[in-house]
Amino acid sequence: MSHDAEHDSKHFSAEKIFGGLFLFTMLEVGWGLVGKHFAFNRPMLWGGLLFFAFLKGWLIAVYFMHLKFEGWVVKSLILPTPFLIMVIFGYVMPDVADKETRLVHPVGSEVDPATGQVVEDMAKGWHPDHGSAAHSGAAPAAGTGKHGE
Amino acid sequence: MSEALATLEPEVEAPAHHHPVYDYDSGPPVERGKFAIWLFLATEVMFFSGLIGAYIVLRSATKSWPDPQERLAVNITAFNTFVLITSSWLMVKALFAAKRGDRGGILRWLAATIVGGSCFVGIQVYEYIQLVKEGAIPRVDIFWSTFYVMTGFHGFHVVVGVIWLICVWFCALNGRYTAKNHLGVELAGLYWHFVDLVWVLLFTIVYLF
Repeated sequence: MSHDAEHDSKHFSAEKIFGGLFLFTMLEVGWGLVGKHFAFNRPMLWGGLLFFAFLKGWLIAVYFMHLKFEGWVVKSLILPTPFLIMVIFGYVMPDVADKETRLVHPVGSEVDPATGQVVEDMAKGWHPDHGSAAHSGAAPAAGTGKHGE
Repeated sequence: MSEALATLEPEVEAPAHHHPVYDYDSGPPVERGKFAIWLFLATEVMFFSGLIGAYIVLRSATKSWPDPQERLAVNITAFNTFVLITSSWLMVKALFAAKRGDRGGILRWLAATIVGGSCFVGIQVYEYIQLVKEGAIPRVDIFWSTFYVMTGFHGFHVVVGVIWLICVWFCALNGRYTAKNHLGVELAGLYWHFVDLVWVLLFTIVYLF
C-alpha cells in the first residue's frame, strides 16, 4: 500500500462516513415529513433541515473531498466563499424580500389566461391534478393598482 | 563568496559565473492540477450560491409559496439523493484503489460510480417527464421556473461529471494511473464530490423546505 493510501485509511473510514451520510439523509427526510405533518414552527423545521444539510455537506467536503488533510493553499481558495455569499444576500435581500408594500403585486403573482385576473396566491395558480388556475376555477385576486407590463 | 559556496549541498553546482543555483520549486506547495480544480470549484460555489440565493430571496418576497411536498415527488428524490451519495462513496473507493496502484479496482469502482451517476440522471429525467405531462413547465409560475433552473443546472453538472468519469475510466483502462501518478482520478473525484455536495443542499432547500 502506498503512503497516501495508508495515510487515508488510517485517518478516515469511507464506509463510516457513507453510513453517517445515509443515516443523516434518512433523519433529514424524516424531519421534513414529520415537521410538515405535525406543523412544526418555521424556525424549528428549517433549523433542523439546515443542520442536517450542512452536517452532510461538511462530511463530504472534509472527508470525501479530503479538505481536512489539505494545506493552507487549498483551504484559502474555499474559505472566502461564505463571506462572498453573505455579500450577495446582503445586497439583494433588502431590495426584494418583505417589501410587499412597495410592490403592486407580490413576486410570484401570475395572470390567469382564462379570466385575465392577477392571481397573487401562487398556491392557487397551479394544481398537480388539473394544471393552471384556468381549470381549477380559482377566485380572482384582490390586487390593487395598475398592472405592470 | 568561496565560504558561502562551500556551505551549499554537494549536488548543487555553481556555474562558471559563480552565482549559486538552487534546485527548488518556487510554486505553491500543491499540484497545479489540484490548485486549478479547487479554484474552479470555488467559482462553482459562487455560481450555485447565486442560483440558490435568488431562490431564497424570491421565495421570501412571495405572499405564499406552494408546499414542495404537494408538488414534487419527495420520496423518489430522497432515493435519488441516496443514489448520488452512494456514487460519491464509490468514487472514494476508486481513489483508494488508485493510490494502491490497483488498476482493476479503479476500473470496478469507477464503473460503479458511473452507473450511480447515470441512474441519478435517469431518475431526474423521469421526474421531469412526469411533471411536464402534468403541465408543470417553467413558464407556469415562479416555483416551477426556479425549480427547473436549479435542478436543471445541477443535472447538467452531473452529466458533465459522468462524461468526465467515463474518460477517466478509459485512461485507467490504458494503464495511465499508478500508485504514484493518479492525479486524474483525484481531480475527477473532487468534481464528483462537489456535485454531490451541491445536491445535498439543493434537495433540502427545494424539496424539504
